[in-house]
Formats: sequence, structure tokens, C-alpha cells
Amino acid sequence: MIKCKDLTEKASDYLDGNLSLRKRIGLSFHLLICRPCRNYLQQIRSTIKTVKVLQPKEKGAYDTCPLVKKLRELSRKQD
Amino acid sequence: MISVARAIVGEAFADEVVQDAWISAIKALPKFEGRSSLKTWLLHIVSNGAKSRVRRENRMISLDDGWQSVSSDKFDNTGHRIDEILPWEEATPEALLANEQLQAAIEETFQKLPSLQRAALTMYDMEGLKMEEVCNILDISASNARVLLHRARTCLHQCIDKFQDK
Repeated sequence: MIKCKDLTEKASDYLDGNLSLRKRIGLSFHLLICRPCRNYLQQIRSTIKTVKVLQPKEKGAYDTCPLVKKLRELSRKQD
Repeated sequence: MISVARAIVGEAFADEVVQDAWISAIKALPKFEGRSSLKTWLLHIVSNGAKSRVRRENRMISLDDGWQSVSSDKFDNTGHRIDEILPWEEATPEALLANEQLQAAIEETFQKLPSLQRAALTMYDMEGLKMEEVCNILDISASNARVLLHRARTCLHQCIDKFQDK
């Protein structure tokens, strides 16, 4: 018997299609009868879409000077 | 690239690994056959460099990153939810991101994710790489990658959900 807790733990696998047929049917049936879990799954779906649209970037001061120096050296060697 | 390097080798050596990866990529560019996208190829180069660095530094990759799942007090002792979950009022990305404070909060949460979670999320959800590629690049099993991805999504979901209560 599938419980809300199972759905919470397997939400990503369910959305990404990474579950066995048996598990998927079990969760689908639970979703049919459980409105809070339907809402939860919809929220996870919205979260994924939102992050995809926002595209947050990795922070951190990446110092490009050493790379530029190495590239110049490389270019000189090739000349 | 920096995200993958940080996930594998950690903050201290990530910059250096990315620099070396660029140099290797430029040198190897004539040999690039286009069997994968340039992006995936570059990520493989940085991943290989980071893995060698890990071996040199004898560093262990750990998935135990202080993860806390959805609080167990949200469920009764049979595993069913106690609280009602209501649909978000603003459910589309555009509507959610119209709130600048929420946008900043999502970005902050993203930055605070453990580096492996951030890398898995970046490659799978944002860059659209296949799970198999994500596993190869990060050198982790598919089950571990799925756990990382789910943890990252759950953290971001909790961040957005807090704003719905306000």
C-alpha cells in the first residue's frame, strides 16, 4: 500500500520515469485518491520548470587571469 | 565547468582544474569529432581532470552532506500526510519569478546546495543532459545521481513553498 511518504520520496523518480511499472502504477493509483499528493507533485513540477527558467548561476569569483596567461603562453609556443 | 569541478574535487582545487581543462580542450580541439555536443565534451574533460586530481589528493567523495528530508512530523505513523497541501497560487515559472524576493531566495538556496547536488541539478534540469551523462561526468551511480537530484529539487521546493505561506 503506497503512502504519502512514499510519494514524497519517489516524486522525482516518478516525474523522470525512473520507476518500475509496478511502483509507477502504485503511485499513480495513490495520486488518484490523494489530493495533497497531487498538489505536492504539481509543486515539484513547477519547481523544476522555475529553476530551468531562472537558470541560477554558480557563484564565486573565478579568477580568469591565470587562464589568460596560460593561453598566451600556449599561443606563443604555437607561433 | 566550475560546478562539475567543485562537485568532484571541492572548492580548493576547482579553479585550477577548470583552467587545466580549458588548456587541454584547446589543445585537443582538432581531435574533437563531434560525437557528443561540445558542452558534454568539455564537461568530460573537466570531469577527467577533477577525478585525477581527486586520486592525487586521495580525497573521498561523500554523498552524506547533511541532508534532511521532508520533516517526519508532516506524516502520521502510517505514513500519510497530516496537513492539507494547497496548490500554489502562482504556479507558472513566470508568475513565481515575478516576485523578486523569491527569485533572490531561489538563487541563494541554489548557491547553498552541496556541490554534488548543485552539479546534478545544473546538468540534468538546467542543461538537459541525460542521466547517463551526469553519472559518467560525476563518476557516481545512477541511484546516487537520482538521490542528489531529488534532494536538490526538494530544497528548492521548500524555498518556494515558504513564500507561498507569506
